[in-house]
Amino acid sequence: MIEVQSLTKRYPTQVAVSDVSFSVREGEILGFLGPNGAGKTTTMRVLTGFLPPTSGTARIAGHDIVRESREARASLGYLPESAALYPEMRVREYLAFRARLEGVSGPELTRRVGDAIARCLLEEVADRKVENLSKGYRQRTALAGALVHEPPVLILDEPTVGLDPAQIIRIRETIRALGRERAVLLSTHILPEVDAVCDRVLIIDRGRIVAEGTPQELRRKLAGSPTVRVSIRGAVDASAAIRELPGVTEVEETVEDGETRLRVITAAEADVAEDIFRLAVSRGWILRELARESVSLEDVFVRLTHHDDTAKAPEESSASEAQA
Amino acid sequence: MRKVLAILGREWRAYFFSPLAYVILAAFLLVNGFIFYAILNYLATPGPKGQALVLLFTNTYFWIFNLFVVPVIAMRLFPEERRSGTIESLLTAPVSEGEVVLGKFLGALGFFLTLWLPTLLYVAILRSQTRIDVGPVASGYLGVALLGAYFLAVGTFASTLTKNQIIAAILCFGMLIPIFSVGLLESMFAGAGKDWLNYLNLWDHMDEFARGVVDSRRIVYYLSATALFLFLATVSLSAKKENP
Repeated sequence: MIEVQSLTKRYPTQVAVSDVSFSVREGEILGFLGPNGAGKTTTMRVLTGFLPPTSGTARIAGHDIVRESREARASLGYLPESAALYPEMRVREYLAFRARLEGVSGPELTRRVGDAIARCLLEEVADRKVENLSKGYRQRTALAGALVHEPPVLILDEPTVGLDPAQIIRIRETIRALGRERAVLLSTHILPEVDAVCDRVLIIDRGRIVAEGTPQELRRKLAGSPTVRVSIRGAVDASAAIRELPGVTEVEETVEDGETRLRVITAAEADVAEDIFRLAVSRGWILRELARESVSLEDVFVRLTHHDDTAKAPEESSASEAQA
Repeated sequence: MRKVLAILGREWRAYFFSPLAYVILAAFLLVNGFIFYAILNYLATPGPKGQALVLLFTNTYFWIFNLFVVPVIAMRLFPEERRSGTIESLLTAPVSEGEVVLGKFLGALGFFLTLWLPTLLYVAILRSQTRIDVGPVASGYLGVALLGAYFLAVGTFASTLTKNQIIAAILCFGMLIPIFSVGLLESMFAGAGKDWLNYLNLWDHMDEFARGVVDSRRIVYYLSATALFLFLATVSLSAKKENP
């Protein structure tokens, strides 16, 4: 539904997006993840026809964004980062206006406006003026405006920014439901959002794609070796025995507050937690903690987009991995 | 065309949600109320008075008002959308730049004509009291509409050039002054030069319209100038997209 081929956008002073390629299928939600200023908004503005690309091409529902701009724009709904609305309009009026701009009219217009209001849970405020709405309702009104013409492609720039947690959960549910029958490209710099909403993630940094995959794949690919954290009551010499277990590559041991704490680093596919448990039982150690350290997407993200020299090497290797 | 109408309607209604609209409306009615008073005084003197309403369209205040108010009406058209960010969803909808320009221009023209609406009351009052020729009044309003379209097209173009409303208003004013005053130089020339400048003499044109003279050359001039500036506005809007 969205196909992007080596898209580049250059401003007079900088390259905002550099040779970006990806695609989004129908029924898929692609998360566009990156720090502020990474080029997410610029990419979206190019895809929606608001800015022309410097080079490269993209197709929205089969229509070239430059040569068939109007058809491409007709096939997509766009929620800009600003989620700007006309303050003097009522919610229903605004949605009717947006639908008319998309060429919807007559009874169809009433039906679609009603649908958008229901989908984005705007019934309570449908006849209120935008200027009197809370940030959450405005955001949802803007989202409703983007999907009122029921486009096959949705491009949402930070749809949950500025919302309270309850609103975030609701809007994510809405987006999930929308993603079942559409292609959705969603940008965010909030990591849990990606886990909660997206089927696939694209990490972009300084205008380039540095990683791509499902949240699970990214974690696995970038987590490094699985690690198990162990605490045992009293000072015991556990590290020697644990090091003997199959799959264990390294053990770090510290003793403090009357506890022996160990970090057990293992080979990729090994699961040593059960072995450690049996070992503890046979040795009579009192286990206070036995946990797998999971690498969060946050760690992956920080590792990929951290801009000092120590982090440079893994970033580059993962970039080549993603493109391979 | 439906899309143009949607933009027109939104634009026209938006005027009435800004205090500026009411300030303009109040000032306009004040000026015209004064002119109406002058017309009544004139009617109180002896002599034939069939064309007393000419005064409504040909007086210094009429020009001062149009030269100052049109830039203020037009200044918000694009800068406001750029500032608030609504321009992004407007231009990414499947509408062309031309449709956006036309819709906004017609919305502003609609507001301009709305300002003139209450003056129909003066016409009605005078007609109930004395004999008034309807023809010149109608052509006077036609002249107002054509002039308003021309000036607002200039204002629409000016408002595509900047993000700042004040600068847009000043640019518009700066363009309207030469457009208005070049025809006034007519008296300094003779022969072909004089004819040419007469073609551009807006003050004379309004006099003609107000006296009931509808010259098709005038209509062609106003409509083609309007079209030219709307075209420039469309080009400027597209160019802004390339280089925001």
